Amino acid sequence: MATAKNNSAAATGSKLGNLLPKLAIPLVLIVLWVVISEFKLVKPIFIPPPAAVWKAFLGLAPLLPQAILTTVAITLAGFVIGVSIGTVSGLAMAYSKTVRVYLGTIFDFARPIPVFALIPLFILWFGIGRAPQIALIAMGTSVILGITTIEAIRNVPSIYIRAALTLGADRKRIYTTVIVPYIAPHLIGAIRVAAAASWGLDVAAEFMGSQAGLGYLIILQQTYLRTAGIIILVVIYSILAIFLDTIIAAAEKRLIPWTERRSSMGAVASIVGNT
Amino acid sequence: MSASGERPETDGTKIRIEHLTFGYPDKKPRQTNIIEDLSLEIRDREFVAIVGASGCGKTTLLNVIAGLLPTSTGKTSINDKEIVGPGPDRTVVFQDDAVFPWFTVHGNVEYGLKIAGINKEERGRRVARSLEMVGLSGCETLYPKQLSGGMRKRVDVARAIVTRPEVLMMDEPFAALDVMTKASLQEQFLGIWSEHRMTVVFVTHDLEEALYMADRVVVMARNPGRIAKIVDVPFDRPRHRDLKTAPEFQTMRRELGHVLDANGEQS
Repeated sequence: MATAKNNSAAATGSKLGNLLPKLAIPLVLIVLWVVISEFKLVKPIFIPPPAAVWKAFLGLAPLLPQAILTTVAITLAGFVIGVSIGTVSGLAMAYSKTVRVYLGTIFDFARPIPVFALIPLFILWFGIGRAPQIALIAMGTSVILGITTIEAIRNVPSIYIRAALTLGADRKRIYTTVIVPYIAPHLIGAIRVAAAASWGLDVAAEFMGSQAGLGYLIILQQTYLRTAGIIILVVIYSILAIFLDTIIAAAEKRLIPWTERRSSMGAVASIVGNT
Repeated sequence: MSASGERPETDGTKIRIEHLTFGYPDKKPRQTNIIEDLSLEIRDREFVAIVGASGCGKTTLLNVIAGLLPTSTGKTSINDKEIVGPGPDRTVVFQDDAVFPWFTVHGNVEYGLKIAGINKEERGRRVARSLEMVGLSGCETLYPKQLSGGMRKRVDVARAIVTRPEVLMMDEPFAALDVMTKASLQEQFLGIWSEHRMTVVFVTHDLEEALYMADRVVVMARNPGRIAKIVDVPFDRPRHRDLKTAPEFQTMRRELGHVLDANGEQS
């Protein structure tokens, strides 16, 4: 307990010290950006100067609320559907060997399929509009969750199952008290990966014939060669993605308080720490 | 304690193993069985230690008694009833860390009681008592990640004894611990056992540990796994740690060592 407290104290102490090296490369890049545009080393169409980006932002501003709303709605819808399908089939696979055989094969097959290649098919099946976009995101995220869950089930240490068996646990109880708690951290990790992926899936989905949303705006900017506008929209996508990730990360800490966090001190941390 | 009161005071046979042969079905034809034609009777409330070189099948034997592995040939029974699977009458303290990391200390110890359908109040009482026995009172709300290896092992022991099993099996439970922690856990466990007599099957490769803890020491030989010798341990209880350095203890240990050497190296 005492050491745990010391560690966290040391971690907060070193946080400020760590901030500078973390920001160093972004700062250098920004300085580089200003220098390049000031001295016109590269054509503005490739790398627009900061002032142009700001101007582009002001130009886009009236369109942004509606676009953000559309994009967030589509992405979240696809993400929630995908995570639900993935989690439910994951938990079903964890419980039943039969389900595992049937669904597991499907997920194993789906793993190497490049999801983006399915876009034309999805448009064919679901028409133009939000449905194919949501379906694409749902498909992409559910595969991530399904695969992670199968892997996690395959790795449940048998020692825990043996311990539960000798204490009198039956199948059902082992499922709820050993399998599910064991795979929970993996599941939440997969949800984080899926959340990040869902924004990418949304961009791809919007590139293919959508009439609203941030991705649609990107395509518009591209058509008129407005590089500055594209930069703005990419930044907005990133902010949205970071926001969603932060929420899930906070939920993770509350839901699974037992997971081992590597200490920020000592020889191991000196090799893989601060990652 | 009421634990012993629930069962009739007999000195009869608790576990009977007759002509047990165990081998994995997919083994290559020239490989020998892991255990071949092993017979052993373990009396009620007896403390039996099983020693042998690695690969002699002592853990396999324990798993068969626990019901985690099937009896392929031969008969194994507890209270004259055939062992067909694991049950809460036979709990196990494993060599590896088997404490559930997702439950608190309280949640871990309570696990078997919950399955047995014991009400919350009684569960709380028994968990507290069990933790007191292993010296972990006050640690209820901690997660295993906050405990040392020795403390986790004690949670394991508390979890295994809280259901008051008739047979407690321990598979090299203290092997991964440092010498001092090991010695203190041995003494602590002997204290618990003297208070709550139950049948204990204690697998170890440490002869000193076997002689210090057990009533009888079963020495196993390997290839195939079988019993080489069974030795009665004559030392009075309660045993003090000084016993380990007594001349008669050392003599017995040496003799057992010779038996082990003679049966461990042929392969």
